[in-house]
Amino acid sequence: MKLRLTLPDNIKKINTTIAARIPEEKYFRSAVHHRSVTSRVGLWLGIAFTVCFVTGLLSHFIQHPTSWFFWPSRPVNLYRVTQGTHVISGIAAIPLLFAKLWTVYPKLFSRPLVKSPVHAIERGSILLLSAAAFFELVTGLFNIFQNYPWPFYFPTIHYAIAWVAIGSILVHVAVKLPVIRLGLGEKPTIRPAEVGVSRRGFLRTTWVVSGAAVLATAGSTVPLLRGVSVLATRSGGGSQNLPVNRTAAHAGVVAAASDPNWRLEFRGPGGAVHRFSLDDLRAMPQTTADLPIACVEGWSVSATWSGVAVADLLRRVGATPGTAVVVHSMERNSIYATSTLPGEHTRDPLTLLALRLNGADIDLDHGYPCRIIAPSRPGVLQTKWVGGMAVVE
Amino acid sequence: MRVARIAFALPGLAALAYGALLAVRFVTHSFTDGRSALAYLIGGPVLHDALVAPVVGLVGLLICRWVGPHWRAPVRIGVAVSAVLALIAVPGIWRTDAGQHNPGLDDRNYAVGLVIALVVVWVGVGAGGWLRRHPPRPRAKRVSSSTPAARPGSP
Repeated sequence: MKLRLTLPDNIKKINTTIAARIPEEKYFRSAVHHRSVTSRVGLWLGIAFTVCFVTGLLSHFIQHPTSWFFWPSRPVNLYRVTQGTHVISGIAAIPLLFAKLWTVYPKLFSRPLVKSPVHAIERGSILLLSAAAFFELVTGLFNIFQNYPWPFYFPTIHYAIAWVAIGSILVHVAVKLPVIRLGLGEKPTIRPAEVGVSRRGFLRTTWVVSGAAVLATAGSTVPLLRGVSVLATRSGGGSQNLPVNRTAAHAGVVAAASDPNWRLEFRGPGGAVHRFSLDDLRAMPQTTADLPIACVEGWSVSATWSGVAVADLLRRVGATPGTAVVVHSMERNSIYATSTLPGEHTRDPLTLLALRLNGADIDLDHGYPCRIIAPSRPGVLQTKWVGGMAVVE
Repeated sequence: MRVARIAFALPGLAALAYGALLAVRFVTHSFTDGRSALAYLIGGPVLHDALVAPVVGLVGLLICRWVGPHWRAPVRIGVAVSAVLALIAVPGIWRTDAGQHNPGLDDRNYAVGLVIALVVVWVGVGAGGWLRRHPPRPRAKRVSSSTPAARPGSP
């Protein structure tokens, strides 16, 4: 396309013609537009996306369990580590995606636009890959900041497009495998290129930027980096030194949770209802454990929790530890008002109906009078303001 | 090679088909949500190809043109780190659509945090550039004993 702009007569002295063209592939003379660079950045981008996909899938299945899926309760930090990794790999992928696309940017201008039906499918699949990759990184980034400039429900579509992203990556690798092998077999040159940065310089820049992005955010889950990560979502604040993901006021439970006549209603085997006052629970054997609270949004923090082991409660109502238990919050209008503790977790002596946190009664915002805290579980399933429990029969 | 390509392509196509099915379900469930999600989906590559990539190219060109050879690598890394950190900080700073306030979450001062990070990055760029301009002199003795060319009789 050639656009001719002629200046108005009054400044005709300059008499210039400005030619604006869509660039052609050959105009990009930088050495970084080469398969040896693309394949290296692509390899790490592929690894980052795969790790992100697998860890995200784990959290999906823990929250939407199927009959064949099993999630262990130990090690206690397992969920925390997988979800910290989910967000860290996603953040690391942001600069990798930009770098990868820059190395292949000239191909956008290759002509003819479409050479054959196969070529058309290939170009289309790359557009899909790029769209899905950007979608996952942008929506994921806004979600960890609990910032939603869109009307749609985030988890459903983030999950759907994750399949599109990983699928189009796999197809892309299948199509490009011969080029990838060639590229990885060639050494990126050290000598500065004729135009701009050398291949090795570009790769080093990419690794440094990815590392910096991770350092700036990973303090949400890595305790040592909390003071370093100025862009971390977890600030270190919150009541009892623990972040609050939903306050009692926002959940509308202040009155119910503060009621001195509160009773825990536990529906045991055969539908028999057992009622426990807070004093009843305090009088039972107490278990203290250091357990993390960890969110799929990548933040996590360890704390000291005390309370009644769910296994002890089950024995008290005549059930066997290892029986699944449904937990009801006093909170009403939330999709997380109810959770199910699988048998694997009710069997674990560290799965608690917690009454105390870091040496004091649990704050209202953390689930007073009592909440579930189980090892290796998503934070949203650590139900707060517990009002009822029931064995699954 | 053929087997490897099939091993990537088949699960890839299956994942694509499943993702497409989920996406279609999402769109048919609510057309408004679907339209918005579609805009976000297409927005990424369009914004990148039409805006981000040309800016990257232009900035790279300016660095080559205006920055001296010793300073090019540190400045390039500094600009790239700054740009990515600034992008990551956007949802922390621009919070008109943020949900309810949760104590301890997303409540850092991200604008100040970004400025601190940028200061650290550019002090690093300054140090890196200065070191490249004034490389520490290697100790003469060590150089003469470890450099084969300095030995008598070596070619």
